[in-house]
Amino acid sequence: MTAGVLFQVVLAGLAQGAVLGLVALGFSLVAGVARVVPFAHGDLVLAAAFLAVLAVSGRTPTAASPSVLGGLALVLLTLAAGAVLSGLVGALTALPQPNLPHRHRGLPGWIAGGLAAGLLLRSAAAFTLPQQAYGLPDPLRIDALVPGGLLRLPGGSTVPVRAVCVLAIGLLVGLGVEMVLARSRFGAAVRAVTDDPVGAALCGVAGRRVLVATFGLAGLLAGLAGVLGTPGRAVSVGDGALLGLAAAAAALLGGIGSLRGALAGGLLVGCLQALAGYAFGAGVQQVVPLLLLVMVLAVRAPPGDRSGLAGRPVRQLRSGRSSAAVRQ
Amino acid sequence: MTAFGFAQSLWLLLAALGLSLPVRYAGIPLLAQGAFMAVGGYAVALLGPGGSGLPLGVAAALAVLLAAVAGYLTALATARLDGGQLALASWALAWLAQLVPTAVPDLLGGTEGFSRPVPARLVSRTLGVEVSLTDRVNLALAAAGCLLALAALFRLDRGPIGLELAGMREGGPLALSLGVPVAARRRAVLTASAAIGGLAGAGSTVLSGVISPADASPLLSLALLAAVLLGPARWWGPVPGVALLAVLPAGPLAVSASGGVPARGLLVALLLLAAILAPRLIRRGSLRQPRAVPEPDAPDLAARPDRLPAPWPDRPLGTGDAQPALELVSASVWAPGGPVLDGVELELRHGEVHALIGPNGSGKSTLLEVLAGGLDAGTVRLGGVPHRARTVTQRARLGVVRTPQQAALPPGLDPARQVALGARRWSHAGVRQLFGTPHSRVQAAELQAWVAGILDAFGLGRLAGTEVVRLTTGERQLLQLARAVATGASVLLFDEPAAGMTAAERAVLRDVLRLLADRGAAVAIVEHDLRLVAEVADRITVLDAGRVLASGTAASVRADRQVQRVLLGEG
Repeated sequence: MTAGVLFQVVLAGLAQGAVLGLVALGFSLVAGVARVVPFAHGDLVLAAAFLAVLAVSGRTPTAASPSVLGGLALVLLTLAAGAVLSGLVGALTALPQPNLPHRHRGLPGWIAGGLAAGLLLRSAAAFTLPQQAYGLPDPLRIDALVPGGLLRLPGGSTVPVRAVCVLAIGLLVGLGVEMVLARSRFGAAVRAVTDDPVGAALCGVAGRRVLVATFGLAGLLAGLAGVLGTPGRAVSVGDGALLGLAAAAAALLGGIGSLRGALAGGLLVGCLQALAGYAFGAGVQQVVPLLLLVMVLAVRAPPGDRSGLAGRPVRQLRSGRSSAAVRQ
Repeated sequence: MTAFGFAQSLWLLLAALGLSLPVRYAGIPLLAQGAFMAVGGYAVALLGPGGSGLPLGVAAALAVLLAAVAGYLTALATARLDGGQLALASWALAWLAQLVPTAVPDLLGGTEGFSRPVPARLVSRTLGVEVSLTDRVNLALAAAGCLLALAALFRLDRGPIGLELAGMREGGPLALSLGVPVAARRRAVLTASAAIGGLAGAGSTVLSGVISPADASPLLSLALLAAVLLGPARWWGPVPGVALLAVLPAGPLAVSASGGVPARGLLVALLLLAAILAPRLIRRGSLRQPRAVPEPDAPDLAARPDRLPAPWPDRPLGTGDAQPALELVSASVWAPGGPVLDGVELELRHGEVHALIGPNGSGKSTLLEVLAGGLDAGTVRLGGVPHRARTVTQRARLGVVRTPQQAALPPGLDPARQVALGARRWSHAGVRQLFGTPHSRVQAAELQAWVAGILDAFGLGRLAGTEVVRLTTGERQLLQLARAVATGASVLLFDEPAAGMTAAERAVLRDVLRLLADRGAAVAIVEHDLRLVAEVADRITVLDAGRVLASGTAASVRADRQVQRVLLGEG
């Protein structure tokens, strides 16, 4: 492998990783605030992208670039579809469910609900889109920025301009969201609910509103990931589940609730995926994030960590005690 | 339905029965049963006739073994995960089962998979038999497997293992505090479930003669999950769900999740939604009905502490020997703000009620936590012997049981089951019970009588089958105590047992505490109700700011000037 090829592979991986990072950001937000594993989060990305394309073009998706106005509509529609779908999935899975019958203790309704929502999105989309894979249009027309879609580097090698732009936009938006959440009142509310929902409610934070807004924001990010990530390659409506699992790996690598961590995790997973794909072939490429996810869960997830996504965190007998180990 | 289709559905049922063990009984949201089926299927294809050429019986046994190992490894890797994390990890495993064969095509046949001659032949030279596994023979085998699994689940439902799993499902901390080895049970459940899944996968592969990634789709795992969730939480629970999957036109067998036939995905998604939404609609509000108000003077007076049954014959309460039942030497616990316990020493003696009192924040509950094994501090001697049991479970098994600080009352277990969970024996009666040996029946009857006796002693007999959410605060407290007493522990640690009790319930509590001590148990209570302390305590230890302020007989402590100052604020 020459240095030039390596550079190209890594760059492509980073671009894919930036998209993944946006998905992971939403995953991390939702997992932190709602304390559920958003099993359907990856499916939102593709459902939003396909829904918007069908709404704008009204027929089988093609990769042909839309007009400027059409492109704008496509972007807005994708974002909106992501937010709305995310809100719906959130309503199904994460809103408080009083008196869940105890026959479901142990398998909380949201696990089955999230899985069902993802499967529903995948198979409903597969009804209207029977092909194995489609090319989707690029509303931003990134490839048209430079002739041939390739940037020439000093030294004669070239890099695809798409990868550079996607990486830049993804990182900018991701860091922007992170900054806004770090400084704004809404961000403070999100952090408060993430840390301690009951305490936040006692301080007057409207938990339900924060929850809905978080799902909406995560959906927007998923929509953006759809805009950035789907053009320029063959995508299938069935890819969502694996995308969601890759995002889960990225979010867990970064630590649930840490947005920068999710972005960095996305870049890392994307990079490893690209390298593994280059070295061992496409079959291995798909396996890498799954293996990472299982390993991260097995090795890192500390018992009773509040970022122990999902469900009730194991009750700390007394938090903050240094010498005392709490065991089973 | 053809014999082929019927057999296929029965193998699916077997896998679902295996899955109901973690999902329904132990409350572990496993999403990878399809993956374990795939392990079994690939193993039998690779090792058996047409592969490595081992005899089919040997290959099938190895397939089950491999699946069991996979389940055990999964359990090890996910030992520390909560429900959601485990669901996520096992969901990843379900996808790996489909993707790995395509990633290593040389070893696992790629997207094509393997095909083997049908019908397979079962040959044994030693026995001199040769059976051709036609669809009908395979059907008979699948049916036998299902019947065995159903029988096992039926017996499990009623036995101590079922109780332990229910305890795990309903509340992990509670199960731990009663000495259920949760981690070990969890490994066993996942291993057994995977082995059954592997058997089902092997049987299904032998039947069709084909195994490919399409047979290992994550959709299969979800379909099995939906089948388990659709039925009631009974031993036959998965049967209606699998029957539905078999009857509906787009059965889920051999479907790839991405692409392929979307109708099957849609069907499974709807079944999953139905499984979680239907019970919510049906049962809405059913828990809110108030319980009939009991006659004002009848219930609490029904308590007969004097009838508290004697403990298990082979598990005597206190032995009444001269050694203290439990000794704690120089226990210190530090928090960032300073010491919570500072060099505390304590002795609990057989036949005594020992009260720990002191202002809020003086370290009483922490001390109890240390005694129960929840925190590691100081040296603990049991009956004079330093011991290394360092977890709540280990200590509970040695006869040191504490009621949890916050009322841990799993709503899914009625009072009788909760007490039975405490009373189940530590022996292997569980495994024997699966086979229904005469001895296990005797034990079951003994257990029932023992539980009924304890409930009666605490005045809870009439509530044995009530839903826990309908108990009053005082009744819940009594139930917690009854559960702990039922373990037959010789050292009992109660954290504020009288909180929220009526006067009548308090009288029951007082009598029970006295009686336990008289029978030789070492009882420690943390209590703010000083009148109760005065009535029952033989010995009092006063804590202040993490130090022992005074310790001794009730009278001597009461006379202590310092104690009076700390507790009452006297000059």
